[in-house]
Amino acid sequence: MSRVLEGRAFVFGAGVTTDDILPGRYLDRSNDEVGAFAMSGIDPAFAGAVKPGDFVVAGPNFGAGSGRESAPYALLRAGVAAVVAPSFGRLFFRNAINIGLPALIVATATRIAPGHHLAVDLEAREVHDRDDGTRHAIANLTGISRAVLEAGGIVPFTRARLARAGGSV
Amino acid sequence: MSGAFTGGRALTLTEKIIARAAGQGGVGPGDEVWARADRVIMNDSSGPRRIAHLVASLGGVHAPERAVIASDHFVPAATSRHAEILRLTRTWAQEQGIAAFHEYEGILHNLVLERWHVQPGMLLVGADSHTVSAGAAAAVAVAVGSTELATVLASGEVWLRVPESIRVDLEGALPPWVDARDVTMRILGDLGTDHALYRAVEYGGGWLDTATMEARLVLANQAIEMGAKNGIVEPAAPLLAALAAAGLASDQAPPRPDPGARYLARHAYDLGRLGPLVAAHPSPDNVYPVEDLRGAPIDMAWIGSCAGGRAADLRAAASVLRGQRARVPLLVTPATRAIYAEAAADGTLAALADAGATVLPPGCGACAGVHAGVQGPGDRVIATATRNFPGRMGSREAEVYLGSPFTVAASAIAGRIADPRAVAAGGQR
Repeated sequence: MSRVLEGRAFVFGAGVTTDDILPGRYLDRSNDEVGAFAMSGIDPAFAGAVKPGDFVVAGPNFGAGSGRESAPYALLRAGVAAVVAPSFGRLFFRNAINIGLPALIVATATRIAPGHHLAVDLEAREVHDRDDGTRHAIANLTGISRAVLEAGGIVPFTRARLARAGGSV
Repeated sequence: MSGAFTGGRALTLTEKIIARAAGQGGVGPGDEVWARADRVIMNDSSGPRRIAHLVASLGGVHAPERAVIASDHFVPAATSRHAEILRLTRTWAQEQGIAAFHEYEGILHNLVLERWHVQPGMLLVGADSHTVSAGAAAAVAVAVGSTELATVLASGEVWLRVPESIRVDLEGALPPWVDARDVTMRILGDLGTDHALYRAVEYGGGWLDTATMEARLVLANQAIEMGAKNGIVEPAAPLLAALAAAGLASDQAPPRPDPGARYLARHAYDLGRLGPLVAAHPSPDNVYPVEDLRGAPIDMAWIGSCAGGRAADLRAAASVLRGQRARVPLLVTPATRAIYAEAAADGTLAALADAGATVLPPGCGACAGVHAGVQGPGDRVIATATRNFPGRMGSREAEVYLGSPFTVAASAIAGRIADPRAVAAGGQR
């Protein structure tokens, strides 16, 4: 994963669910097709406005509800570089890490204003708001989940792990 | 809060099972471990269509005998695209030699318990948030995404961060016309949809001595609506009796939490004081006594889902509806074909049909927002569905109320939200 990501903040409120991120009517689509529907449950304009490298910044419990993996895929395919929130729905969090989308736990995320230009430093574990100069600590990115993200997701991570173990762990 | 295992520590039920699956003497909250998955479960939406290529790229299925697949979201197919998914799922299960493949049999989570794919003390990993339902059998059942499921299928192992546990003790007996769903709605209303985020919810207490397997399923299932990593119900007589009836009685006692195990929080409920509840739009923790919402208009009533299409739910609805007539469309989706057959044999389906209900094929149905009763803008429905976040059962502009099968049936008769106690007494509709 790149060490410093740069992009704009698209800001959402608290309790955004996976139904908001990707409504159930798109469940029959493949993970490669869902980028155009990202956030369409609450913001149909999002997918057209977001540029590769931009960030989703949200309130607590982002990605609550259904465990559909197509929700983080929708953000990834829409070009979102990372999701920043004080807390995440457990499954959304795990799914995001597993597909290589950084889900960053930032207690002060709700102070970040819409449209602000952010620099996300995955090594220093810090979000720098270039527009108002504030710095926000990233609480996670340690242990196994960091290793998974650094490998590019759980699939390349497991491939390497299986190779080391000679086909079986 | 943190903490490495220091040895000799008393363990919660979840800690004990994860420690066993990880091959360790003990674990503590915050520890990250690799654990062997005893079962790996998936459905037609989360399963082969999303993971077949990944599993192949990782060398194939490690242990087909540990895999369980149920096609429950897209049966019967509403579109040719659904039919393609069903064919792909069926073909892949056969190719991989996965014997535990269910199609037109019902919902995965109910089948896992009905067919005893789960046993006390197991670690299950599944791609579907309601995987947690298997905690009814005193197992640790954890949901993961499809991509991760592919890696668990290929390697046999899953990484877990040991959760802190929240203890919920249920005492007393439920009053008439009050159901296990009212119990979980009370807990959700009190604690909220994020109380158990990243945590385990462990249920115990004297009520478990009489709580049926179906009630245990509801407890474990609804833990996910609190954000939990897993919900687990302590072993009790009805579980042991169900195991014995299935010929699965074991000399080995099922695991129990250690005395002195540490819990992040403890909550106790006297169920004798509980009344019917309704969770209003837009969240399962937006809970009110049914009296507060009585008279709210509805366009439809729906009985179904893994937590609301159990045989007991159908019987509960029929007990309210017998001799009455639904004033709004009432859809009934049995969770499994075995439940459908049981309800057909004991007269429950006839009672429901006589009252005007439309009985639909077993499966997830409208609860997954895919077909068979999904809601449009402006529609108001009261349902035994698992959750009511906006868009869950179709349109975001639909309003979904959640209630017990008693309350949903009473509301169907009244054509608006109604108290099952009043309807059953022949009182105010």
